[in-house]
Amino acid sequence: MNSPFPSPAAGPFGRRLKRARGAKVPVTVVTGFLGAGKTTLIKSFLASPEGQGTAVVVNEFGAAGIDDALLRASSDETVLIGNGCLCCIARSDLQEALRRLVIERERGEIPDFKRIVIETSGLADPSPILQTFATDRALGDTFHVEVVVTVVDAVTGLDMLDQSPEARRQVMLADRLVISKTDIAGGSDAIASRLRALNPNAEIIEAANGKLDPSRLTEPAALTRNPFLADEAVHSDGIGSFVITDDKPMPWAAFAKTMETLIALRGPDLLRVKGFLNVEGCRGPVVVQFVQHLAPPPVELEAWPDGDHVSRVVFITRGIGERQVRDLLKAVWAII
Amino acid sequence: MSAATNPLNKSGEPIAWNFKLLAQNDLGGFGGMGEGMSVQIAKDGRRIIWLAHESAPKNFTGVDVSDPRNPKVIVQTDLPQPYMRSNSLETAGDIMTVAYQTQKVGQQPAGLELFDISVPEKPRSISFFDCSGPHSRGVHQLWFCDGEYVHMASGAPDFKPSHPNDDQFYRCIDVRNPAKPKEVGRWWMPGTSATDNVAPPPRHPLDKGYRAHNTNCYPQRPDRLYLCYIDGGMFVMDIKDKANPKVISHWTNSPPYTGFMHTAVPLFDRNLMLVTDESTENAGKDWPKLIWVLDMRDETHPVSIATCPLPPVDAYKDRGGRFGAHNIHENVPLPTSWQNDQIVIGTFFNGGLRAYDIANPYQPKEIATFVPPAPAGTPVGAIQLNDVFVDERGIVYTVDRFSGGLYTLEMEF
Repeated sequence: MNSPFPSPAAGPFGRRLKRARGAKVPVTVVTGFLGAGKTTLIKSFLASPEGQGTAVVVNEFGAAGIDDALLRASSDETVLIGNGCLCCIARSDLQEALRRLVIERERGEIPDFKRIVIETSGLADPSPILQTFATDRALGDTFHVEVVVTVVDAVTGLDMLDQSPEARRQVMLADRLVISKTDIAGGSDAIASRLRALNPNAEIIEAANGKLDPSRLTEPAALTRNPFLADEAVHSDGIGSFVITDDKPMPWAAFAKTMETLIALRGPDLLRVKGFLNVEGCRGPVVVQFVQHLAPPPVELEAWPDGDHVSRVVFITRGIGERQVRDLLKAVWAII
Repeated sequence: MSAATNPLNKSGEPIAWNFKLLAQNDLGGFGGMGEGMSVQIAKDGRRIIWLAHESAPKNFTGVDVSDPRNPKVIVQTDLPQPYMRSNSLETAGDIMTVAYQTQKVGQQPAGLELFDISVPEKPRSISFFDCSGPHSRGVHQLWFCDGEYVHMASGAPDFKPSHPNDDQFYRCIDVRNPAKPKEVGRWWMPGTSATDNVAPPPRHPLDKGYRAHNTNCYPQRPDRLYLCYIDGGMFVMDIKDKANPKVISHWTNSPPYTGFMHTAVPLFDRNLMLVTDESTENAGKDWPKLIWVLDMRDETHPVSIATCPLPPVDAYKDRGGRFGAHNIHENVPLPTSWQNDQIVIGTFFNGGLRAYDIANPYQPKEIATFVPPAPAGTPVGAIQLNDVFVDERGIVYTVDRFSGGLYTLEMEF
């Protein structure tokens, strides 16, 4: 594209970034069933210094519900007291709401927001939201999904997870799991162990009385493999998660062709793939993300976060096993 | 919500987006800063940033920024006359060069001073090169990176401009013997000297003068000078023979723009050049003042391909002071300067500090913004960020024109 003006300082994936999102606006997706406490956590976040300059999008996918009314009241108030928060109620469509925020900001009509929090409706599967940022060219260029946080109620959460495949899916696709209402439930051990079984790669934290360290809604989840989980986790829905690691620098084509093959054969079953790759010829890790058959462009970071330069990619799949992916990668790598 | 009904927009909400403020230092209450910023690594390892003041009474200030979260003023000097300003300075090793300009022609001292800064707390004058004269205000800006030559925008005792606003031209000063600076070359835009036998150039409506501003010269092309000439546009000069500079190409945007071309920074590996205008009028009266991206594949034929986008003038023009482009990080060819050809970082007065990704130079994209609140004591009611320098660690230094002093920041992109 820029062939008349290449920069020798750029890497194979363009300008090396300090962090995966580069300069994009970070997006926090908050999911969780109705009554789990999403709105309480978001309101508490908006009231904190870290919540300043946050635009909230309530994704109702239909008729306005009680969460909508609560949050609108709260955010209107925060605008008036001048802490820089604003609220956008998406009555129609997420993409339209986000585009409108960008346009109004560029026109100087609303304050410069520095973060978006999307509150999904209770029933929502987060996948379509993640796909929105991977497919919509204008949005993907502006926004980056930093973290998917799923709130689970310690009081009714276990029942909900037993009864609802949607609730399980919200847990499995999360980067971070928040157990709410632990003060009422009087303990969280049972729900925590169920969550860990469903999503062994997510950080699990507790929020008593709706209080949560604001950074848990802003910081990206660390991509570390839980060492005690040697085997992949598979559940009744056929959804499983596993981590592929490799300590040798990998030719980019080996990974790209492996993913192309998986997408061609089983795209709809690649629910979420994310991770760091040690790519041959790259100084820093290459960050990759896929949601089914869609992927934002990979980016190279300036440096590895630590001395461990091992490729590590989390797969959340339906009916595709760790060994199958590992063998495919090995085979592709051997013949490219 | 419209701009008129949004209380946050009216008051000018501060912004820190993808820049992280580390510290601010008002430099002892003398925080009105010019456009000279240079980093020295002292013999004892301390990192000193030298800053030129925008106007009297202060001359220059040295700040220990070894810890950018805790900048400490270690020395601050006074000008001998209230009508002087030391708008510009540079360092190379332990030598610092400072530009002195006076308010009116004929005033003294006006010229170039060299200092030994080997002991940063005690700058010692080595020499003074007089540039005063009946038609001269002295030196406005200088460039000094190789330890051998100062390239500067200056008047001279023997120069009579054809128009009083055109008193400063390009001069090259040999300082290889710092005790005895001597001129080795000069050039002015044809028609601007009273002795020229060509007609003077037509005046622009705001008439900021046909005079030199930035005089950048880089080791990648020591035979080239990238010269901005305020209302006269930008010149690429051949200075292989320093005594006889020759024009290779000329590019201007004015008219229809309103002049005051300020800085030209070549991005050698990419065949690009950045050219800035300076906003010099309050309330957006000279809008738009921009950073321009030029295709320099053929240096004899610069082609403008883009500008770095700014927010709407209506959102900023009434905040106080100026709004528009001014200085950018210039990839100063020193070990203490950040080198980058994919990102542009510039100051925009009340528009703050902004960074642009020019990976695709046809579509510069803003990726970071820092608009701090109005600093205490400013007479214009808004921030007026004037200059920026980025060190090799990636620490960003920017200064306010009136009172805010020095701000240190981290880039987060």
